[in-house]
Amino acid sequence: MDWAEEARDGAIIALPNGKIDESSAQDFGTKLEEAVAHASEAAAKLVVDCSGISYMSSRGLRALTLAKRKADGAGVKILLAAPNGIVREILAISRYDKLFGVTDTLEGALAA
Amino acid sequence: MLVRFWGTRGSLAVAPTAASIKGKIARALVAASGRSFADEGEAGAFVEGELDFATGGTYGGATTCVEIEADGDGSFILCDFGTGSREFGINAFGRMAQGHKRVYNVFMSHLHWDHIGGFPFFGPAFDPNSHIVIHSGHADAEQAFRRQQEEISFPVAFDWLRAKIEFVTLTPGESYRIGGVNVEVMEQQHSHVSYGYRFTDDAGKTAIFSTDSEHKIESMEGEADVAAFFRDADLVVCDTMYSLADAVSMKEDWGHSSNIVAIDICHEAGAKRLALFHHEPVYSDDDIQRMHKESIRYEELTRRDQPLEVLCAYDGLEVRL
Repeated sequence: MDWAEEARDGAIIALPNGKIDESSAQDFGTKLEEAVAHASEAAAKLVVDCSGISYMSSRGLRALTLAKRKADGAGVKILLAAPNGIVREILAISRYDKLFGVTDTLEGALAA
Repeated sequence: MLVRFWGTRGSLAVAPTAASIKGKIARALVAASGRSFADEGEAGAFVEGELDFATGGTYGGATTCVEIEADGDGSFILCDFGTGSREFGINAFGRMAQGHKRVYNVFMSHLHWDHIGGFPFFGPAFDPNSHIVIHSGHADAEQAFRRQQEEISFPVAFDWLRAKIEFVTLTPGESYRIGGVNVEVMEQQHSHVSYGYRFTDDAGKTAIFSTDSEHKIESMEGEADVAAFFRDADLVVCDTMYSLADAVSMKEDWGHSSNIVAIDICHEAGAKRLALFHHEPVYSDDDIQRMHKESIRYEELTRRDQPLEVLCAYDGLEVRL
């Protein structure tokens, strides 16, 4: 899994790329929590641009939950943007679309 | 090896209501679209072949009881004494009348009431010729069984039971030869601890019984140990009571797992089949069927080299390995 971040329009945008499973979930979780810290320092929201994620297993989903707990404590809002069809289905099947705000596009998350 | 499910609900036994049966019949009649059937056999074939399971059947409502029928030493092998053990006991009497050995090797996941509450109604416990060996990781198993039959809770005292009843404490991480099969034990996370079991017969067929096991979000790395315990299993019977979202939020620390985590661990373990189990008592047949379909889809989306067949346990299901 690759990772990039950028700051734009009042948000820290996280750009993970690849699959998130038991081999990459720990790294994904660490990077997410670092991004939460960056967002907190910038008084910004954190938008995870999911367009580069091919699929996410339960480890990845639960890493999102751990990051959200840190974010809630820091007053940082997390949004998931532009998941592909597979990730969108996984978010629905796991009911994680009830735990996280999900937008179809990155622009939609930045505007939310 | 044959795995037979006598009870597949968690927490509390449930029963269908008149309204739910009426709903099934109405849906079936609509699906039949005015067709007539010559007899019950023809109608039964229509139910079997053309109706979904939630309409034409039911996942049942008895609590946890799973039988492992292996070519072992001829004894019965059972997992947990939920309310499903009442029907199992009735069936066992018929088999004993035909010559089945009157020995029961029972493996307890834990001692919560949905897993022991069928024992006071287990007919063979009244049979002076039956020998019941209750294996458990809990040293206080006998205390739990005796307490539920104290007079304040039940009119028949434990000491009135006429079968020879023994309690044996097993140690997690050890391997045993019981009932003519190899048995391994794993400690699991649940209130007052629970235990999972790995059964392997001499033909090499392996069934896992892992219920009431929470996979904590803070210790996901430990799931590698669970995957190792499930390795290459022919069937994994796994607690899939909650959605993953519920399991990490409002139902965290309730001691149960989700379909998503079970599938991921089974993929990692190279298991061949997973039976979704310990169904939430508030779920209707439609809810459980939906969860089953979603689980099949999730497995497809995250499949690795080998497909994992995802079954949904119901009272009466038999799976031959």
